[in-house]
Amino acid sequence: MDSNTDGLKMDFLSSTALNSHTSMEKVSMIVDRVKNGDLVVIEGGLSPEEEAELIETTMREIDVENFMGIDIYTLEKDKTAFFGLSKKKTVGITIIGPANVMKAVKKKSNFLSMIANLGDSGASMH
Amino acid sequence: MIRVVSMPRFLTRKFYTDIFNKLLGKNKKLKIGFYGHPNSGKTTLANRMTNDWIGKPIGLVSEIPHETRRVYRQEHVTLSHDGVELDFDIIDTPGIATKIDYKNFLKFGLSEIEAKERAKEATKGIIEAIKWLDDVTGVLLVIDATQDPLTQANITIIGNLEARKIPFVIVANKIDLPSAAPDRIYSVFPQHTVVPISALHGENTADLYQAMVKRFR
Repeated sequence: MDSNTDGLKMDFLSSTALNSHTSMEKVSMIVDRVKNGDLVVIEGGLSPEEEAELIETTMREIDVENFMGIDIYTLEKDKTAFFGLSKKKTVGITIIGPANVMKAVKKKSNFLSMIANLGDSGASMH
Repeated sequence: MIRVVSMPRFLTRKFYTDIFNKLLGKNKKLKIGFYGHPNSGKTTLANRMTNDWIGKPIGLVSEIPHETRRVYRQEHVTLSHDGVELDFDIIDTPGIATKIDYKNFLKFGLSEIEAKERAKEATKGIIEAIKWLDDVTGVLLVIDATQDPLTQANITIIGNLEARKIPFVIVANKIDLPSAAPDRIYSVFPQHTVVPISALHGENTADLYQAMVKRFR
């Protein structure tokens, strides 16, 4: 949440920017922002170990009155491997935000539509 | 509709002994962890298995999410048969979630103070469940077949099991309920072993035990 405008603040982090940090740094960077009410959009995804660490750190930071945890959504993309012979899914974008702000309305493999709750007002994102 | 197939007692006993023998292999110590969302039926299944195998339940079952707030461990689940003693551990973990809202507990009649206390305990339980991933040798990922299986918690658990090379079986639970759709779980996780069961009624548990033999030995 941006304190000057009371609007939703969204931070977009490139995979290059993220990969220059250790797993612990990445996780605390995300949790700090989300705990502050911000939405974090990451190019690519976290590793399974980083996801587990993210959940663990979130649980430590939960404060029943003000911070109830996070919501995570991913959009996948096809990646060809073995000289174009096989396809597998990889994470294209990861969106992480405060659970009391994010509300996924519709999710398909290549489409995500969300509503962000901002107190009395609301913002939609597609 | 529930189909219950009953076997003669001596055959049942032999069936479980065979399962144990295959599960344990050559003196391998097995620690089977139950993972999944809150209220997916982990404790009901753990109770079903310990009742089948040692004749007593492992933990309390409740309608309230996060009833299991710490890891329950039934050590040395032992079956003696024909002079052979078989031994393993069952580990029932709290449900893994990315958020906990104490207000959800108010719906179940808890006071605000109790609900907040339960929420705090639930966060500790989730941390404990994640830590136990380092210590289990096989996992049953229990998914409520009436719910959307494609959740971040399920994806994170599966990703971690794959990364750590821990064998697992996906249990599509609650197939006794009319809204259960185990096919959705097959389609979302086609590359993994999925067994539809009703832990509550014991339906299809024999198939689950056989799948465990294949995956865990």
